[in-house]
Amino acid sequence: MGDKRKYVIPGDVVTTGPFRPEQNVILDGNNIIATTIGISEIYDDSVRVIPLTGMYIPKIDDLVIAKVNSHTSLSWELDINSCYVGFLPAQDVFGRDFSAHADELSSKLKTGDLVAARIANFDRTRDPLVTISDRDLGQIDSGELVEISPSKVPRLIGKRGTMIQMIEMATDAAITIGQNGWVVISCESPEGLLKAKKAIQMVNEQAHIANLTDQVKEMLELKGES
Amino acid sequence: MASTSVIDELKRTQILELLEQGKRVDGRALDEVRELSIEINAIPKANGSARIKLGDTEVICGVKIQPDRPFPDTGDKGLLICTAELLPLSHPTVETGPPQPPVIELARVTDRGIRESHMIDVSQLVIEKDKSVIGVFADNVVVDYDGNLFDACSYAATMALLSSKTPTWNWVDEKPVLVEGEEIQLPIMTIPVSVTMAKIGNHIVVDPNGDEWACMDARVTITSDSDGNICALQKGGSDGFTLDEIVKCGETSVKVGAQIREKLKAAQQGGQ
Amino acid sequence: MGGRDATMVLLDKNGIRCDGRKVDEPRKIMIRAGGLKNADGSAYIEFGDNKILVGVFGPRDVHPKHMSNTDTGILRVRYHMEPFSVTERKNPAPSRREIEISKVIKEALEPAVMLEKFPRTAVDVFIEILQADGGTRCAALTAASVALADAGIPMRDMVAAIAAGKVADTVILDVNNEEDQAGQADMPIGYMPSAEKITLLQLDGVLTPEEYKKCVQVGVDGCKLVYELQKKALNDKYFGNKGD
Repeated sequence: MGDKRKYVIPGDVVTTGPFRPEQNVILDGNNIIATTIGISEIYDDSVRVIPLTGMYIPKIDDLVIAKVNSHTSLSWELDINSCYVGFLPAQDVFGRDFSAHADELSSKLKTGDLVAARIANFDRTRDPLVTISDRDLGQIDSGELVEISPSKVPRLIGKRGTMIQMIEMATDAAITIGQNGWVVISCESPEGLLKAKKAIQMVNEQAHIANLTDQVKEMLELKGES
Repeated sequence: MASTSVIDELKRTQILELLEQGKRVDGRALDEVRELSIEINAIPKANGSARIKLGDTEVICGVKIQPDRPFPDTGDKGLLICTAELLPLSHPTVETGPPQPPVIELARVTDRGIRESHMIDVSQLVIEKDKSVIGVFADNVVVDYDGNLFDACSYAATMALLSSKTPTWNWVDEKPVLVEGEEIQLPIMTIPVSVTMAKIGNHIVVDPNGDEWACMDARVTITSDSDGNICALQKGGSDGFTLDEIVKCGETSVKVGAQIREKLKAAQQGGQ
Repeated sequence: MGGRDATMVLLDKNGIRCDGRKVDEPRKIMIRAGGLKNADGSAYIEFGDNKILVGVFGPRDVHPKHMSNTDTGILRVRYHMEPFSVTERKNPAPSRREIEISKVIKEALEPAVMLEKFPRTAVDVFIEILQADGGTRCAALTAASVALADAGIPMRDMVAAIAAGKVADTVILDVNNEEDQAGQADMPIGYMPSAEKITLLQLDGVLTPEEYKKCVQVGVDGCKLVYELQKKALNDKYFGNKGD
């Protein structure tokens, strides 16, 4: 580990001096202190900690996999694997001419349905606004849902997508990764599906090891394992 | 419990589709129990204890044995009381506060399974007839939830009681007095084992995990003893079983129960 | 308090305590981060013969809504003893002692947890005492801190805890059950090591002003030892022993 990165736990002093505290650090006097378990990074004039655990906090433009919890006559409530609940207004799905009288929400999405969605708006004072009206978004009607820790999502994607592409090519699966840690795997073959699941779990459980990419590659290349 | 969390439709459909092909999501056969791990003497200061992991469901049972007053109409019998508590750290939907009906049912079914099998001969637990008897309390706490608490609590209580050591008391001057250094096994007459089966659509699966529990239509828990006799039964859930299904469940519970019983006995030997 | 066993020697002429320890020696401590599948964070601690499990959920929605706070998240702590955890079987219903300890632990954690980042939510800490042997609240607080970090809840600092005390007119570190029952003073202390703040402090017994000062100092030093074990527990789980 280079000298600009350090393993930290809450309360650890990352550095002292004139740095700008960014994610997961606070300024206490002259000290920059870590507030979660993670890897600290000092770059330019700011300091942050990349968390190794913790729940999903929505960010605008995040792609998430969501589950429909309930609905009123005007909107759906979505479980986005966070303490915040996603708010999907009916107009997003029915369009501008939505009429609470004529259009029944459960005809499009009902409780228990899975969707790929995007966080449209969020500040911490109210629940995030969610949309499914882009082309790559909408109801997911096939595939298996797997859950990983949201803090492991960057590792699963890999630098410029290298990790996830490697898994998809080796298993012939189509994998949609939500920033909220929910991942949907679609695969024709049950062996490919199981292998993809295994690879994803490996990343989730061993994100901290140095040669993870090689280890996952090795596992994927084993024939006939399930 | 998990019945209040929304199981996603995709998972429910998957479970049903696989069942149509005679398979389950975790690769088990329909009558196969999950991996069962048993640790006895998990709580050394209790008179007996066991920690059971049934898949990812985890239960700890601690046995406390102390002198007590007998019930008014059974002065020649000791006390045997089993309880079960669902701890809030076992699942995000568990609330603190007085126990809800499903947990009360769990406790009472666990208690009946042990009691009705006559696992412990309580007539041997008397210190002074009508005045003082030995009270045996087997308290189960659920520490992690992934379906089928009935069986996990049954195995934990059975193992804890099997491996318990009871002190001896003498009746002196109208009081029970502890005899130092005299600890013996409880009077064990049989080893009860419960087996829970869930009905999902038209299929019956043994030892449902958390996902299967959330989408089952009905369930039945059947306890059998070492002689292969059925001694306790509880049906639950909002659908029904056919006569044939219930008879088949009885046979399955005795068959699978015998396999589990061997594991419990092996664990008891291993601890000695 | 007060001598229950008049024959027990709490400190012999060689300065050895009833369980073989020296006056400044804590009991054997083992902490493990994680372990529960459903909780957002968890930890397990063995502190002498104490065995304690902690599970954390949150931040999460508060029900009923009127209990939530619009400006800041709230912390809820439940300290609970299993019926089989103590010598005489305990009734599962919460006792006044458990309720008081829950409150004291909550107030020891609040300075460390950054609740203001999550308005209208709650962080729940569930402490389960599986086996008790003196000093459960300190062991529980120590494990709770690890479980909160394991859950990724933002914290300014960890909180480590241990009890100092007095037996046979001598200040000791880490009071066990016999020393708590028959000794002269018991002082549980919870401490934030980076911020250097004492966030849990209680006293049971009689101390001269000198003894009082010594007790607090011995306790704080003891907390620093416990903190090293909290670090180790988190290192082992997250850094694969590559951390410092």
